[in-house]
Amino acid sequence: MLTRSTIMPSAGKTKRKKSSRKRSELDSALDQVTDESVAASMKEFQDLLAQAKGDTSELIRQNAQELEERLVLLKQKKIDKEDFNFFVENQKRDLRVFVDSQPAQSQERAEKLTLHILEIAATKIVPVLIMMI
Amino acid sequence: MNSNIANNLFVRNIFLVAAAIALANCGTATFSKTGSDAEIESLRNFELAFIDQFAVPGKRFNAAAFDAKVNEGNANFQKAIADEKFTARRPVLVDLKGQFDADAAHLRSKASRGKVTPALASEMKKDVNKIYDHALGR
Repeated sequence: MLTRSTIMPSAGKTKRKKSSRKRSELDSALDQVTDESVAASMKEFQDLLAQAKGDTSELIRQNAQELEERLVLLKQKKIDKEDFNFFVENQKRDLRVFVDSQPAQSQERAEKLTLHILEIAATKIVPVLIMMI
Repeated sequence: MNSNIANNLFVRNIFLVAAAIALANCGTATFSKTGSDAEIESLRNFELAFIDQFAVPGKRFNAAAFDAKVNEGNANFQKAIADEKFTARRPVLVDLKGQFDADAAHLRSKASRGKVTPALASEMKKDVNKIYDHALGR
């Protein structure tokens, strides 16, 4: 069970070295999560999102970019959870055709970098971000 | 010898007729697809205007006006699906109708409770443009 205290930023303990990769606003927010029970999901999500953003397929990159932007909008309270879930369903509807149209050997990867990321975002990331607001 | 020439002419004519039919069909398909593209663009513009009209932060929700616009949209989509000559496009139009239904349901839920934000409107329009671009193969 998540509580506000479990996800409080661990600010002021140690200063992190500047990473070579530019940290996004979302990365910065997710890095504040210290709860071990959700840390694995955060890590999986951040890894998959980074992979998707660097993928050769424009649709996969675009989906990752939109997902990240909408998580930031949620964190900034510019949209709410209902809106976010609505957009995730839109993205899923659009992406199912794309995944199904991929060659059999590419389908698993395509699904992981699109539908699976959306699922993790909706079920694991959003509750954490809402707790942080 | 003469019968050989006649045979060759016959085969050539058959070939020319076949080529003409193929070209004519090609032209019809292009024409139908162009018409179909224009119809899809028209549906896109309708849906964007619908969002602009009702996804306005702070605007009082007018249920009657909303329902009238949804009914108009439903009629537009149903007509487009029924009139579509390019049969491969029908499932695409059905998908676009699904998006319109989902947009209308979400917008009704948010606007009737006064929970529309500027970001909701702009993200909705972004999704509409994306799904229509994909429907048009862009």
